[in-house]
Amino acid sequence: MNAVQEQPSVIRSYYEKLAQGKLLAVTCKSCGTHTFPPTGCCERCGSWEVEPVELSGEATLLYATHNLSPACHPRFEKIAPYVYGHLRLKEGPIVQAIILGVEPKPAALRELFERGPVPAVAETLQMDDLPVLAFRIRA
Amino acid sequence: MRNQLKERVAISGVGCSRFGDLLRTPDLKGLTIQELTARAVKEALDDAGLTGQDVDAVFAGNAMVHSSQVPATYSQLSKWTGTQFKAGVHFEAQCSTTNIGAILAAMSIAAGVYDTVLVFGLETTRTKVKGHSPYEREPISHQQTWLWTDMAVNQAYAVAQGYDIFSTYNGLVSLGYCRKYGVSIEDFDRSMYELCRTRRFHGSLNPKANIQETLEARAARAGYSDPYEYWQSDEHNPFVAWPSRLLSLVTTADGASAMVLTRADLARGGKSQPVEVKGFGVSYSDLPWYGEDPTYWEFDRRAVDAAFDMAGIKAADIDYLHTHDCSHISSICTAETIGYLEPGKGLQAAREGRLRFDGDRPMSTHGGRHAFGHAWGASAGSDTYEAVLQMRGQAGARQIPKAPEVSVIHTHGYAMIGAVLVLGSM
Repeated sequence: MNAVQEQPSVIRSYYEKLAQGKLLAVTCKSCGTHTFPPTGCCERCGSWEVEPVELSGEATLLYATHNLSPACHPRFEKIAPYVYGHLRLKEGPIVQAIILGVEPKPAALRELFERGPVPAVAETLQMDDLPVLAFRIRA
Repeated sequence: MRNQLKERVAISGVGCSRFGDLLRTPDLKGLTIQELTARAVKEALDDAGLTGQDVDAVFAGNAMVHSSQVPATYSQLSKWTGTQFKAGVHFEAQCSTTNIGAILAAMSIAAGVYDTVLVFGLETTRTKVKGHSPYEREPISHQQTWLWTDMAVNQAYAVAQGYDIFSTYNGLVSLGYCRKYGVSIEDFDRSMYELCRTRRFHGSLNPKANIQETLEARAARAGYSDPYEYWQSDEHNPFVAWPSRLLSLVTTADGASAMVLTRADLARGGKSQPVEVKGFGVSYSDLPWYGEDPTYWEFDRRAVDAAFDMAGIKAADIDYLHTHDCSHISSICTAETIGYLEPGKGLQAAREGRLRFDGDRPMSTHGGRHAFGHAWGASAGSDTYEAVLQMRGQAGARQIPKAPEVSVIHTHGYAMIGAVLVLGSM
């Protein structure tokens, strides 16, 4: 009996790439918009004609706040409370993700806020069961 | 799209339970979810002068089935609401559920399919079914509530990678607001205190609110003579997503709400004063909910524009506004997007008491998501309930001095569906 062939999955591919430190997006062949994180169509024009593309991981951190312990999701209990930020990727997409390189405390977050937007770079954070996207503030 | 209602539609009856906890809140303790829902439905049907057999269809809303455990809500509730053999469906739009139900009802009536529709929403965000008991309940932990609630949020990438409602909905929006308008963190904190004070003041005037204790009374009970000192204490009001504090957030609740919608010509001869559905608008968005500017949410803009276009109104026509205030700062941003508050001046309006029921820009007079409480799929109905009471002059101690003629109710259904309902006096 032949083995059943596994269908490709964009979500699975995203996390497999992330485990290798790569950021997977898709680019629209019609309008050129990046959809990140990737889906099977263009988030702007709805075209199904998209192709995988790797993003640079270069970003600007616009705002950073923190959250609570215990975390809302059990996956993040070990690192809670953590800093969570609002970023613009070099290629354009707006992303929210865990931020590394600043303490999840009001004084540190205030100092960062008063500095204004700062450069950050993507980093893979390996949780127990999943690699997740984080950004580290550049020194 | 034509964006028109082809026939006039009215809300002829409204009902709402107290919001709170089925295990301990007065008026709620000991109720089952069936009986909780029936109370709201009975109030709405009585208000309209109808029974469940007088309606043509029932739209039954419930978002978090994990705690309610009543999927197929239409049939499971039919014998509790007297609506056996009616047309109907169970639906959800999370925290916009009941008003999306009103919109679907308005569309079905204006299309000429039904004359009268019952919409109800029920939700239990504090308690869940205990074991397999048909009537016993137990508390839900904070983490479990959010794990279930966040199932409405991007599961592929956001929740999986550390999304947190308090960061996204409160902290980041607050920082965006402060930077955009040059508001200091100190002024922001004081403004959030004043906004919470107003919402809890409204809650103290509402016998159906979850929290009926003013912020000042709560502070005094904790031994503080200055309520702002209480506000700033880490023990009682910690930062949950800096610079947003705990008391600027939603308070979970169990609750139910209901409304009867009917043809406007039928409503005129009804038992209670009807209120017309002048227009509505809906727009949804996956994360991120905002671009570089966390104070501007494109889907809200689109929902507001569609609703105002259908209703033929502009911001200056609004007498009463409810914006979704699961996050107090987000509710201010939405009010500024709508044009009810001047952009960048919303916090100042809160500080000046202008958002109180007796101010010139009344908002969330039932107490909002913080004081009235938030029972996801039932909450939009509680907002509409309040607007209808205000327009009828039936809001008691918190009645807006000049009863509103045009009310706008905005809700965010996680995550996210912006729903805007425009109500007008008939």
